Amino acid sequence: MKCAYPPEVLAGYMTGELSISSSDNVKRHLMECPACQEFLATLEENGSILRSFRQETASELAVAAAHRGAMSRIEGLQSKFGWTTIERFLFLGLRSPGYAVAGVLLLAALSVSLLGAIQQSGPVSPRAAATFEGNDTLLLPVGYREWVFVGSSIGLNYSTNPAAADRRGPQRFHNVYIDPVAYKHYERTHEFPEGTVMMLEIASAELKAEPGLQGSYEKEFVALEASVKDSRRFKGGWAYFGFSDGAGKLKPKAQPFADSAGCLSCHQDHAETDHVFTQFYPVLRAARS
Amino acid sequence: MELLMSGLPDKDASTGLTEIACLVRRTIAGDSTAFEQIISRYERRVLNLSIRLLGTPDDAQDASQEVFLRAFKYIHRLDVQKPIEPWLVRMTINVCRDLRRTRQRRWNTFSEITESNTQPSGDCGNPYTGLAGEQRRQILRNILDTLPERQRTVIILRDVEGLSTSEVAATLRLPEGTVRSDICRARLKMKHAIDQIMGGQS
Repeated sequence: MKCAYPPEVLAGYMTGELSISSSDNVKRHLMECPACQEFLATLEENGSILRSFRQETASELAVAAAHRGAMSRIEGLQSKFGWTTIERFLFLGLRSPGYAVAGVLLLAALSVSLLGAIQQSGPVSPRAAATFEGNDTLLLPVGYREWVFVGSSIGLNYSTNPAAADRRGPQRFHNVYIDPVAYKHYERTHEFPEGTVMMLEIASAELKAEPGLQGSYEKEFVALEASVKDSRRFKGGWAYFGFSDGAGKLKPKAQPFADSAGCLSCHQDHAETDHVFTQFYPVLRAARS
Repeated sequence: MELLMSGLPDKDASTGLTEIACLVRRTIAGDSTAFEQIISRYERRVLNLSIRLLGTPDDAQDASQEVFLRAFKYIHRLDVQKPIEPWLVRMTINVCRDLRRTRQRRWNTFSEITESNTQPSGDCGNPYTGLAGEQRRQILRNILDTLPERQRTVIILRDVEGLSTSEVAATLRLPEGTVRSDICRARLKMKHAIDQIMGGQS
């Protein structure tokens, strides 16, 4: 049983989507058309099922969980000062002139500082990893064991007189750390930025001290040295510092080793990448691959 | 004006409006307890709509949290002269649409709702009890889920939630004519699909 009456009109008639005159037309047509009556009845049945979906509601437990979740996320958001805060500040300005002036000033200040940061792409002053007192006295860097561990070597040196080196006793472990900001920069650009600090922690080695124990291990810390890249302060670009006071203790600050100590020249001559022995540290090679 | 609230006591719309405006201002001033009151008022509305739009209570939980988080972030954009609910409903629809897109669940919108996570309403007036009725409900859920995004949203607001056509249009910021034709088209599509399935079985 088919009828040519437009079905969308029937679909709209059901819930009063039609104008009064169209609605009256449908009413008249329905009185004489069983096919359309049936069509409409099915539509209404579907409508009734859809309405019944309304009864499916979240349980109180689910409501409580959603409430807790929303509040904890909002608290997390409140602890951050983000763009929303700035936006809100500016937005409120549209309603109050006092806020607007403050908002514009804030934006101006932000732009200036942002611009300044962008323009400072040349040699910059060292960052927090190295703190100097006066021109060249380096304060002992703190927390370097939480930096990136570059690697370890045993008895590595470029001594021109190996026999003399042997007389110094058993070989020592060299553990090297780099400050994380410099590491990230190196990873990205394959260059060590101005301000890079690397720490060299030297430990004595113990060899097969017990029967049945093979190999060697670190025994005691014996020295702590630092290298800093800062071409504004140091002629060669890098400087090297020793924090051991000679009596097994650490000094709180150190002057750079004199050129005669040979640190700079050795690093200059033998290190693969900008005074850093990347050839001995797979970690640094991996970072740039 | 008839408000969209289906569950909120809205005897006096203008009183509700000033009350909400006050809560909004307090929220902007940094009082998060004020916002918690807003959440308490509208969380059922948002969560239930999310369940209808997403079909799964877990996703609906995520959506409702996201809605209130966004609402909190952008509360200053709300015009307090206007009711907050359509704003929240709109946000819920957008959040659910994004979630649906990312999760790509195209089937069984309502099928994951089980008795354990929904409450019986105590209303026994449903005429579609029994196997055929349940089957038809299930088919309708599935068809609803396959409708084009806008038609689906319109049908959920109009036929499931029971908003008026003008309320749906205002909420979705669509012309009433568009909403009307979406409603008619969607109803016909659903009927056509049901006729095919049920007709093929008998």
